[in-house]
Amino acid sequence: MALRYEYTVETEDLAKYYKMGAYIVKALDGVNVKIRRGEYVSIMGPSGAGKTTLFNMIGGLDRPTRGRVYIDEVDISKLDAYELAWLRARKIGYVFQTFNLIPVLTAIENVMLPMIFAGVRREERIRKARELLERVGLGDRLYHRPTELSGGQQQRVAIARALANDPAIILADEPTGNLDLQTGLEIINLLRQLNKEKMVTVVTATHDLKMIDVSDRIIYLRDGRVERIETRAEIAVEAEEA
Amino acid sequence: MAQSVEIGEIRLPVAEAFRISLENIRRRFTRVAITTASVTLGIAFFVSLMMMASFQAAAGGAGIQPYMYWLLFISLLVCGVGITNSMLIAVAERYKEIGTYKCLGALDRHILEMFLMEALLVGGIGGLTGYLVGLVAALVYAIANPGVGIANAVRAMISGNPSIPLGNLMPASVALFALGVGIAVLLSLIATLYPAYYAAKLNPAEALRYEI
Repeated sequence: MALRYEYTVETEDLAKYYKMGAYIVKALDGVNVKIRRGEYVSIMGPSGAGKTTLFNMIGGLDRPTRGRVYIDEVDISKLDAYELAWLRARKIGYVFQTFNLIPVLTAIENVMLPMIFAGVRREERIRKARELLERVGLGDRLYHRPTELSGGQQQRVAIARALANDPAIILADEPTGNLDLQTGLEIINLLRQLNKEKMVTVVTATHDLKMIDVSDRIIYLRDGRVERIETRAEIAVEAEEA
Repeated sequence: MAQSVEIGEIRLPVAEAFRISLENIRRRFTRVAITTASVTLGIAFFVSLMMMASFQAAAGGAGIQPYMYWLLFISLLVCGVGITNSMLIAVAERYKEIGTYKCLGALDRHILEMFLMEALLVGGIGGLTGYLVGLVAALVYAIANPGVGIANAVRAMISGNPSIPLGNLMPASVALFALGVGIAVLLSLIATLYPAYYAAKLNPAEALRYEI
């Protein structure tokens, strides 16, 4: 049942235009990508290439001007607000550059939050949140608030929270952007491990070249279009030639 | 493409919304305290004015005059605008948080619920403290004024007063307590309605982009 879908994410001629006074900014302009279940894909490109816009479209956070996004073969542009909220809660886990933990809640409460929306029973919420926080190495920080945690620890809580409802996909927008080199590497490795362990598809939008080593494929965006797509094998060959 | 999705239920139990609102109030104490102070002042003015007038009436004075209601109306209006303003700031400082809640599956009405729950608590606490402050102020007035005196004040408080709403059903002090807390909660809810609606309608992508 769980392996029913070959593609977790599929976009068809996806476009998003913004009006800036008299100008129309084409943040995305006809993007076609297919991301397989269990893949680890990085979206790279310079600032303003459309990485975050693509992230928002795939995450069901914003509506496209044109084209379609399919998550587990469901066209999300056809969903209403209620269905979209359900999709965000159950199918997608979000990780952000600025961690975005709820500041007034403890680590374990943050991880339990998506499970509340999904209607998980209280005992099960506590058990699962504890298990996930232990998995990301924060078993001794359950009752700390975000201000009492380091950046790396906050991002670990965010990753645990993203996994709370066993989503099909983890969307990470610059997950290492606010972290130092070593901590960033730890976060990347953690994402990769969880990707293999739980067969969860990981899509990251990133500038971080460290991400290349762990990605199955890299999608290069430029000016709202896919410039090229590289698989890991190709990257390895390039590296040898260089 | 197959449209084979079973959409399940999305919910935020009231107990959880209440708990989150309570944490918000505890952790953002200063801002909430200022909002609550605005409610407290409005209600204290209402309670003290009504009590002083009923004390005077008990001492053979004029009692509650119609112009007082106008005074109270204006003061509560000012208080309501103050709450709206401070709730708008509360929404602005939580843009990113609201975006995050929506990413985690919150519906518009859950965001609305959380802010209104906070308003309910602020109104309740503000009404309570406002009543106490107003009561003390009125008693100080009675003691300081030989023409009124504490005896008249106590008599006015424990007896009914038909010129106060609800005053023919219960002792004046109880009627003013019910009115004070009731008005405070109602005022806080009405004043928060617009900011909360605004927060609930935020587009998650835009809310997340917002940097404070």
